[in-house]
Order: sequence, then structure tokens, then C-alpha cells
Amino acid sequence: MLERYWAITVSLFPFLWKGFIETLYISLVAIVVGSLIGFFIGVVRSQRVPVLNGLFGLYIHTLRGTPFLVQLYLFYFVLPNSGISWLSWDSITAAFVALSVYTSSYVAEIVKAAIEAVPRGQSEAATALGMTRLERLWYVVLPQALKLTVPPMSGVYVMIIKSTAILSVIGISELTRQGEISILRFPRDVLFIYGLIAAMYFVYCYPVLRFARWAERRVGAARIVDLD
Amino acid sequence: MKRLRNAIMAAVTACMGFAGVAHADEMDEILKRGELRVAVQSQGAPVSFVNKKGERTGLAVELAKMMATDLGVKIVFQDYDFKGLIPALLSGKVDIIAADMTPTPQRAAQLLFSRPMFYQETVAVSLKDAPYKTWEDLNKAGLNIGATQASSYGEAIKKFMPKATLKEFAGGTAAVTQALSGGRLDAAVSDLGNVSNFVREFGNLKILDGIITREPLAFAVQANAFHLKLWLDNYVELITADRRLENQVNYWWNSTDWEKDHK
Amino acid sequence: MNWLLDFYNYRIVAQYLDRFAAGLGNTLTAAGISLVLSIIFGTFIAVALLSDRQALYRPIAAYVAFIRATPLLVQIYLVYYGLPALLPIAKSWSDMYFGIAALVLNSAPYMGEIIRAGIESVPRGQIEGAKAVGMTFNERLRHIVLPQAFANTLPPLIGQTAVLIKDTSLLSIITVFEFTSAGILLNSERVRPNESFITIALGYLAIYVVILLLARMVKQRLAGPAWNAQG
Repeated sequence: MLERYWAITVSLFPFLWKGFIETLYISLVAIVVGSLIGFFIGVVRSQRVPVLNGLFGLYIHTLRGTPFLVQLYLFYFVLPNSGISWLSWDSITAAFVALSVYTSSYVAEIVKAAIEAVPRGQSEAATALGMTRLERLWYVVLPQALKLTVPPMSGVYVMIIKSTAILSVIGISELTRQGEISILRFPRDVLFIYGLIAAMYFVYCYPVLRFARWAERRVGAARIVDLD
Repeated sequence: MKRLRNAIMAAVTACMGFAGVAHADEMDEILKRGELRVAVQSQGAPVSFVNKKGERTGLAVELAKMMATDLGVKIVFQDYDFKGLIPALLSGKVDIIAADMTPTPQRAAQLLFSRPMFYQETVAVSLKDAPYKTWEDLNKAGLNIGATQASSYGEAIKKFMPKATLKEFAGGTAAVTQALSGGRLDAAVSDLGNVSNFVREFGNLKILDGIITREPLAFAVQANAFHLKLWLDNYVELITADRRLENQVNYWWNSTDWEKDHK
Repeated sequence: MNWLLDFYNYRIVAQYLDRFAAGLGNTLTAAGISLVLSIIFGTFIAVALLSDRQALYRPIAAYVAFIRATPLLVQIYLVYYGLPALLPIAKSWSDMYFGIAALVLNSAPYMGEIIRAGIESVPRGQIEGAKAVGMTFNERLRHIVLPQAFANTLPPLIGQTAVLIKDTSLLSIITVFEFTSAGILLNSERVRPNESFITIALGYLAIYVVILLLARMVKQRLAGPAWNAQG
């Protein structure tokens, strides 16, 4: 029995590894791009700019109120039907866009909450020193806020990594997809193969979670928003 | 308000118009691109699967590869689950769907199908020790019968076993037989070639007597891709004449010859 | 109106209203039952994680780590194919039960974390103040601790509920006929991706908006405008 499992593991590992690399690559790109977009939106929202605030609020709630699977279908299958040619993306572009946009909706809320969690006295003191609004934000508020974002941000990153499992529906050969194709070769061992897949996700996500916990203790702040 | 709407409509129309001009004949596009983009699903041997070397192969896949070679273009496979195939074609992600797809009236209303490439026989499977002999025994209330989500097998269950409950699986025949073998279903419906492979794998399943339907399987292209559709029809004619189609069907469909090369 | 019908033919959607309603019913059932069970189960997890007993703490911590570090999609398959082997009674369960089991196992650790943080969030000074004005233990619990703990827990709890409802969309892979399945059915029978996927998205969005509004109402009633002003 054990030998059989070992044989399956050896025979499947190259494929799962390929899928793992794809998962790693897509998740890292989405995390970087999504964080940049989310950071920008979060800062703008914390400043309560009229109109923009409402628009970004709509953006965030739409993304957080619908399943990622459905968003992926919309980005990949429905947008091209609008007839606008530059909205017609291939699998990998659609995956990047959908995942980055999804990431940004969570990051934006974290950044906004972190900025609001910086004690008001800090900002008032900076005003007293004659700093402009942008200077206050850049030199006083943001450095303190960024520290607060680290623990919840790690939680979101883990969530994004896990969401890549859903990309298989638009033909991305990531870890879950590679596993499902492998199951066709060993259909009786479905449970074992899903176990292998779970183990590989664990290896990627668990260190990030540990880091989040460690950072949470260092920063000394409770989680601002629980997202995942 | 009205002016705003007109402006938006004008912008949208402009974009569409632009897209229209850019779109030449779909066959020219393929040749210009040097790539034939094909949507497949990996539902398992012998129609479409990934073999021990990690290569995509199977009857539908090999036929598509043959076409690309004859056209002198590279082939690019996009892998979807069954319900993703048609949306992928409609949204222009691929040129052709090469899968075991039945040209149903509803599908043909949105797509163009080639002449049938090959025929499949839809059968029912159950556990070996189950009390059913033929598929007609399955038309009973309280029975759970599985099929691939959005497939014509599901339609067959609704039509021929209306009293039973249909359970649809996104994972294709593999997931269905898996669930059947694990006791989650009373029976499953799929095509004979695909199912035979799984029945051999699992050992605790049997194919019930009788053919439920005999269905033509065809490749699909976008509704306005006339050139490509006619090219496909011509191709079927040609490979029937030079017996390449027959050889492929015999190798994959009517025998287990493929097993020693690919398993 | 023609351009709308071209892109989104609501007449076709109208023909599937009963299917969408059935799917919505199952989605809400799965989410509702999972929510209640995972709060109960989550409370146990919170207590276990605060406990000093290693024999209790270690296995629960390992389980929590596993759930948090692996995708729900994979967990659903593991439950669907693995549970009948572990638990013979499960063989006779309907697919809905499997779906709920997977969702509860997945969401309980997150609930546990939220509950733990909620209990710890009430400042000591509040309790001491209540003692000083002569409140009994029950009065303190009822008027001071629980309302604040609950009000503090509510935002993340609502967030988690929204996640839970979205997660039910994955149950379609184990044949539960929920809201997403209804859209997929429309797409497979009529081959209309726009009508299918846009309707699904709008449906989930509607549920989400209702939850947001409910949350706002509860928060107002519970803590009053004064609490909200400083929060």
C-alpha cells in the first residue's frame, strides 16, 4: 500500500511541481499589482475625497460581495462579448487582472483602516508644525500605518494564494488543475492525490501565516479587520 | 442625461466598429497568427487526456493536431472544464472546440458545428453488485444518477430517466465515476469509450446493458466562422477518404491499442 | 432596448426564475446552517486555543493551521471523498450535508479567531467601572461585557458571513444545486454566458447588500449612535 502511494507520488511530482511554480508565479504577480492598486485606493478613501470615495466604495463592495469564481467568469467570458476588442484577454491576462483586482479590494480596506487607526494627535501635531496635508500623510501617518497593515495583509495574501485554485476553470495549469489531470491517470487514488495537493499548498501558505502571527506580536496591534 | 447616453452609445459603437474592421476572415487570422487555438477538456482517455509523459493526447486531440499539421500552423491547446468550452469559443478565446460535443439544437443556435467526426454510444454504469441489469431499470424515483455538468449525458438522464434525480459534476466523467465508485451515486451516464476505461480502472463497476442514445460528435466554431466551418467539413470528407479518420477511431475508440503507448 | 437584449436578454433569465429561486434557497440554507454550526464549533476552538492543556491545544492548532493554509476547493473534495471512509454513517448523507460539513470545517477556525478577539476586546476598565457602581456579575455581563463584545465582533463576523455565502458557490462541484448552479444550468441549456454569469453576480451582490444593511441596523440598535460615533 505504502509502496503504491510512493510510486504515485514519484510519478506525479514533476507535474504537481510544474503546477506549484505556476501557482507561485501567478499569486506573486497578483499580490504585487493588487497591493499597489489597493494601496492607492485605500489612501484616497482615507482622505474622504468626495465622488472618488463613493466610486471606490462601490468598486470594493462589488468585488467583496461576489464570489471570485463568478468574477473570473465575468472577466474571461463576458467582457469580451461587450464587443470592445481590447477587453478580450487570454487566460493568463484574465487571471492576472481578476486576481489583482480582487486583491486590491481587500488591501484597500486594510490600508484605509490602518490610516484611520493612527492616533489623531499625530496628525494634529504635524498640522501644528505647519505641514501640508500631503506632508502629514507622507511623513507622519503613512509610516505608522504601514506597520499596522503587515499582519492583516499576510492574511489576505494567503487568501489570494488559495484563490488561485479556482483559476483552473479558465484553463490555467496551476497546482489544482495539474492534480485533477493527474487523477485521470490514477482515478482510484483521488483522496491521496488531493491530500498531496493540500500538502503543497500548506508548504506555501503556512510560513506566510506564521509570519503574520509573528508580525502581529511585534506590531502589538490586534487585527484591524478580519478578512479571511 | 439623454446626451450622456448618446455619447456612451457612440463610444461603444465606435469600439465595436473598430473591432469589426480589424476582424478579417477567421481562416486568414489563423494562418497569419500561425496558431490554431483549440479548446479541449481533459475528461479522460480515450478522447482527451494527458498521458504518462505529460503530453496532451486522445482521439479529439490527435485529430486537431492533424489539422494543424496539414494547415502548417502551430497548435495551442486551452484546457477547460466542459461547461467552459462554449463560453470560451463565444468570447473568442479559441478558434475550435475539439471535444466530445453533441451538436444539440440549443448549441447549434449559438455555434456552427462541423460534420460529425465520430459517433459515441451513451451508456449507463452502476456498481457491480447493484440490482440493475439494463439502463431502463434506472428510471426510478429516489435514484441518484450522475453526469458531467452541462453535458448531453445530463440531457439523456432528464429525457430517458425522468423519475431519477440528476446529479451534475463539474469534474467530468472522472469525477462522476469516482463518486459512483465511492457510493455517492446509484448510477452514472457517459459515453462507452470513456466509461470502459474507468470501469477497467476501478474494478467495482459494470456497464449496464443497452445503448441509451447514439450521438454524433462534432467540432464547433463561432457562429460567423463560415470559412472555418466549411474547411472542417471538407477535412472530414478528406480524412474519411484517405482512411486517416478510420485509423484514429480504431486506435482510440474501438480498441485498447492506445493503452500500451500512453498509460 | 434592443442593445440591452443583445447583451443581456432578460426574457431568457425570466424563464429561469424558478431555478434561480431554488438555487438561492439552497445557497441560503447551506450558508445559514453553516453559519450557526461554525459559530458553535468556533467557540469550542476559541476556548481550546486559550487553554493551557497541550493535549487539547496541539491537535486543534494543527487543524486550524491546515484549514487556513489550504484552499476550500481542495478541502471540499477531501471531505466529499474522505468523509464516507472515516464516518460510515455519512454514506447515506445527501450532498448538501457534505457541503455543509465542508463549509463548517472550513469556517469554524475563522469564527473561533473572531470570537476570541471579541471576548478579549472589552477593556478591563469597563468591568471595574461596572463593579464600582455596584452591578452584579449577571448585570455586568448583560449590560457591559456582552453588548460590547458582540458589537466589537460584529464587523468581522459580518465579513466572515459574506465570505461564507460566497464560498457556497463552490458547492456546485459536489452537485449541490445552489445559486451558481442555476446560472450554469441556464448557460448549458441556452448557451448564453452573459445572462448566466451576470445574473449570478447580481444575485450574490444583492445578498451582500442585504447583509450590509442588516449589520448596520443591528449595530445601531445594539450600541446606539454614541458607540458608533467614536468607532
